[in-house]
Amino acid sequence: MDRRTAAPPHHRTIAPSRHRTIAPPHHRTIAPPQSRTESKWVVLSALAFVAAAVVLPFVGPSPLDLSRVWAREAPDWSILVQLRLSRTLLGLFAGAALALGGCVFQAMLRDALATPYTLGVSTGASLGAVLAIALNWQAIGGVPAIWAGAIAGAACVLFFVLGTSVRQPEISPLGLLLAGVATNSVCSALILLVYGLSGMGASFAIARWLIGSLDAIPYGPLAVFIGTVSVLAALIVRQARAWNLIAMGDQWAGTRGADVRRLMRFGYVSGSVLAAVTVAVTGPIGFIGLVVPHLVRTRLTADSRVLMPCAFFLGGVLLASCDALGRVVLAPAEVPAGAITACVGGPYLIWLVRRRI
Amino acid sequence: MLTLQDVGWRVGATPIVERVTFEARAGEFIALTGRNGAGKSTLLDLVAGLRRPAQGDIAVGGRVLSQWTPLERARAISHLPQTMYVQSPVTVDQLVMMGRYPHADRWFESDADRLAVDQSMAECGCLEFRDRRVTTLSGGERQRVLLAACLAQRPKVLLLDEPAAFLDIDQQLNCFDLLKRQAEAGVLCIAVSHDLNLALEFCTRLIVLAGRTVACDLPVADAVDRTDWLPYFSSRLERVMTSDGRARICYR
Repeated sequence: MDRRTAAPPHHRTIAPSRHRTIAPPHHRTIAPPQSRTESKWVVLSALAFVAAAVVLPFVGPSPLDLSRVWAREAPDWSILVQLRLSRTLLGLFAGAALALGGCVFQAMLRDALATPYTLGVSTGASLGAVLAIALNWQAIGGVPAIWAGAIAGAACVLFFVLGTSVRQPEISPLGLLLAGVATNSVCSALILLVYGLSGMGASFAIARWLIGSLDAIPYGPLAVFIGTVSVLAALIVRQARAWNLIAMGDQWAGTRGADVRRLMRFGYVSGSVLAAVTVAVTGPIGFIGLVVPHLVRTRLTADSRVLMPCAFFLGGVLLASCDALGRVVLAPAEVPAGAITACVGGPYLIWLVRRRI
Repeated sequence: MLTLQDVGWRVGATPIVERVTFEARAGEFIALTGRNGAGKSTLLDLVAGLRRPAQGDIAVGGRVLSQWTPLERARAISHLPQTMYVQSPVTVDQLVMMGRYPHADRWFESDADRLAVDQSMAECGCLEFRDRRVTTLSGGERQRVLLAACLAQRPKVLLLDEPAAFLDIDQQLNCFDLLKRQAEAGVLCIAVSHDLNLALEFCTRLIVLAGRTVACDLPVADAVDRTDWLPYFSSRLERVMTSDGRARICYR
């Protein structure tokens, strides 16, 4: 009965008290902190991002002559700058936005299978874009109608979900997930309805858009897109330590000093805006937001300070590479980037699910 | 150090706890007990600032809890949740380091933070698996890691929701030993526990919740001499004295 008279020999498991009174263990206190050594991964990913921006524009159905490019001669120079470079930059930042959005939602929902599309905003964006295609709108106030429709659709969903959650004392992961599932099914049904009601040409354009693909876009809108993504990414990554806490649980985060309510709200809005602007310009490209964060988390680290920047850069590299592959694999025909990512991501997802069992 | 004055909390119109009043000083090790649904976890959440009291005030160090920012609160109060489902592949080191969140104001933790983490891990005996993933640990190892994360926070008030729930008997004893030492070092420890013998052996004070409020609040030194608090748990309990004069609770 009395433990003290017969202390078991393995009593060392919790705290021999000498650790408390004598000097702290010097075990690894001098070695650099783990997260600082892991930050080399961030540097490497950033280098890959830059390398992709330099190399991938040269990949395409018509080979570019380097000397002609150097001399800025037509058509090589204009193909590179007008078409391939803007398209590569779009791919890089769209992939980055999707991967980072995936990281945020996976932390908030504590689910490795969450994607930027899980919470419904991007399906709302798709519905807006599909409506614009079906009604054959070309431009609204100088902005291509597809983009405007997508942004408007996303905004409707965003305000609806936030509006219903205002009266709740807190935003719960389950509540968000349910709102997302409901929004996704309603918007998907409406997309099918619009698809069925529109004529031949429009329905083909809708189907094509829904696969998700990259296209060369003018530098003006591209700059706006890159600016939006970069600012949001900076705001999100700045809170990396709080995302680490959130990923462990609301209670855990709340009693370690994170403002859970504010963070969940911010995460929902910023992740949704990232997804919405990306869907607006590229269509719903799948799997990047799922595969990249998961790969980085299991292969490199779960620390958001490294995970988020790495996923950002590598997501960009993956999407831009998939697009480059799609340009050449069946040349002169083009395979949309969304189809390539699905071909890569689908098998990976199956493997992932099998491993979880 | 910790004052609860007429604290109440309800779900909709259903009161869960009402008129809870007590004071606790630094260095106390309080066992918060009661039957299932008595409101133990709710009360702990209220003190942790996870819920706001519907009535009454909770003050720590003389300052009402609702005036604290989350960061200030986390520097003073740590809370070990009852269940924690860890799915992401974080390492032990990373998890314990999360306890330093309210103290580190920079992107990366300082050497002082690392020192606190190393000390806490040594105290909880989990240094040897610091580089393993939390998902690969056994229940007992995991609980020690979570406890280390709480200690790394260097709290003045340590709240534990059933810290010994999934532990084998030796680990339960070790866990309560550790908490007792924390209390002796000046931390106010409040542990929800169903194990009355653990409470009698290690704690300094017993608070029994029943009928949505504090039914019984007495020092363990008195509790061992009395039996009138046993019916709050079950009618089938009795107190026996061991040969060396220790009180133990047995089933009838």
